[in-house]
Amino acid sequence: MKKLFNLALGIVTSIGGFVEVGSISTSVQAGAEFGFSLLWAIAAASLFLAALAEMAGRVAAVSKRSIAAAVRERFGFHFQVIPLGAEVMIDTLLLTAELGGAAIAVKMLTGIGFQWWVLPLGLVAWLVLWFGNFTVIENGVGLLGIVTLSFVVAAWRLHPDMGPIARGFVPSVPHHDLTRYAFLVVSIVGATVSPYLLNFYASGAIEEKWTPQDLWINRLTAWCGMGFGSTVAMGCLVTAAIVFGPQHLKVDTYEQAAQMFVPVYGRWAVALFALSLGIGCFGAAVEIALNAGYALGQAFGWTWGIDKERRDVSRFVAAFSLMLLLAVAIAINGFDPLRVTLISVALTVVIMPLVVLPFLVLMNEEEYVGRHTSGPLGNGLLATLTVLGALMAIVVIPLEIFGG
Amino acid sequence: MDVVRDVLDKSVIDRNGREMGRVDGILIEQQPNQPVHLTAVLIGPAALGDRLHPAVGRVVRRIEKSFGVDEDRPARIAFADIDAIETRIRLRLTIGETAVAAVEQRLRSWLVRLPGSR
Repeated sequence: MKKLFNLALGIVTSIGGFVEVGSISTSVQAGAEFGFSLLWAIAAASLFLAALAEMAGRVAAVSKRSIAAAVRERFGFHFQVIPLGAEVMIDTLLLTAELGGAAIAVKMLTGIGFQWWVLPLGLVAWLVLWFGNFTVIENGVGLLGIVTLSFVVAAWRLHPDMGPIARGFVPSVPHHDLTRYAFLVVSIVGATVSPYLLNFYASGAIEEKWTPQDLWINRLTAWCGMGFGSTVAMGCLVTAAIVFGPQHLKVDTYEQAAQMFVPVYGRWAVALFALSLGIGCFGAAVEIALNAGYALGQAFGWTWGIDKERRDVSRFVAAFSLMLLLAVAIAINGFDPLRVTLISVALTVVIMPLVVLPFLVLMNEEEYVGRHTSGPLGNGLLATLTVLGALMAIVVIPLEIFGG
Repeated sequence: MDVVRDVLDKSVIDRNGREMGRVDGILIEQQPNQPVHLTAVLIGPAALGDRLHPAVGRVVRRIEKSFGVDEDRPARIAFADIDAIETRIRLRLTIGETAVAAVEQRLRSWLVRLPGSR
């Protein structure tokens, strides 16, 4: 019974943890500019994310190693230094963007400039990490994140035609702005398949002491959680498509994006959008900072864990604290959160082959997954993602310049 | 034994099971007309830096020196002190007999001043 409860909780928290600055901004832009026609990109990216998360959880449950630890041991530091360095850089940028997104949300609610909120939000995030434990952080972030279901409710209450929505799940070539379309596809993938989500998920499996007996929980949490999570991003896209689509609007700010709630929620629109954006971004900020501690601790072999006494894991604590400090320092100096989000999303795509390739090896070695090695389906999916990842890594920079 | 596969980058625990870090470098010696001899494993970011580029190693050493945590680092664990090489490498030593924990201890001395450091 307790396991079932934990399972339900795990799935619910994945929904809440799914939505953050990257997925909101890419979904809104996709919907506003291309109607429902990019729904397939969210579906495909979520499928890949769920598959990778399930595999990361499987390695963690069987070998008691997170991805960062397994990659260091199997591939050595010379290989790891590139994806790890990139992940720390992406985490820093993404954390900056999330703090910025949360600060903009508070600005929408209070009317006071967003730069005033970056430091207090950074401090609150640090206090959550300093005093919290894994259960509190994961469940707190996830349960509060349920407010992001307002995107799904909005889409539902706008009564969209199901026909065009169904057609959106079939990849198509647009009649206009092909470069921009390709750019958004790649951005959606980059925003969805974040390396931090994978390592955070695997680290959580170790924090919660999963064993091979928990593999079914892992499978359900990864597939249902990420699946439901993606419906929030889809709700966001559908709402933006219905409200902004007819005007062919290019959404450049979050204040603009908030207007998509007006036809549904009336005078509560801005507040509800701000709450969804703020909670989604703040939750992601806490998880990203924590993941920086996880990834560095696991790669370098420090004692790590948010459930351990802080004095016993001082390097781990120092890592997430410095990461937060760095992000606050960047954010406070003024920047465009949407711009930073797009840069970190593009970087995520650039290193994607280096993130996915190790899975292809680890998932086929008994030392890491015991007898639960990947079948032809899993390996096929990984191979596809590696090839697609490499292709996207090549085109993302030109797309960023010409389509961004 | 394949030193690079079985030893390098593996996680190291002390006699009591405490985590000590990872094998960041290995020290090998070769006398004329003798086979290569594995003398010690190194634990510490300076050894890791050396592996990337000697200049990176020098920068790490300078940082450690400026914080006064460079004594006996990177920690050199004689190969004779290795008890077992399994998924992790178990030593016959305790962590306190090496300089492995110097950075951790320095940071701890700052952290314990904060409320709630449990």
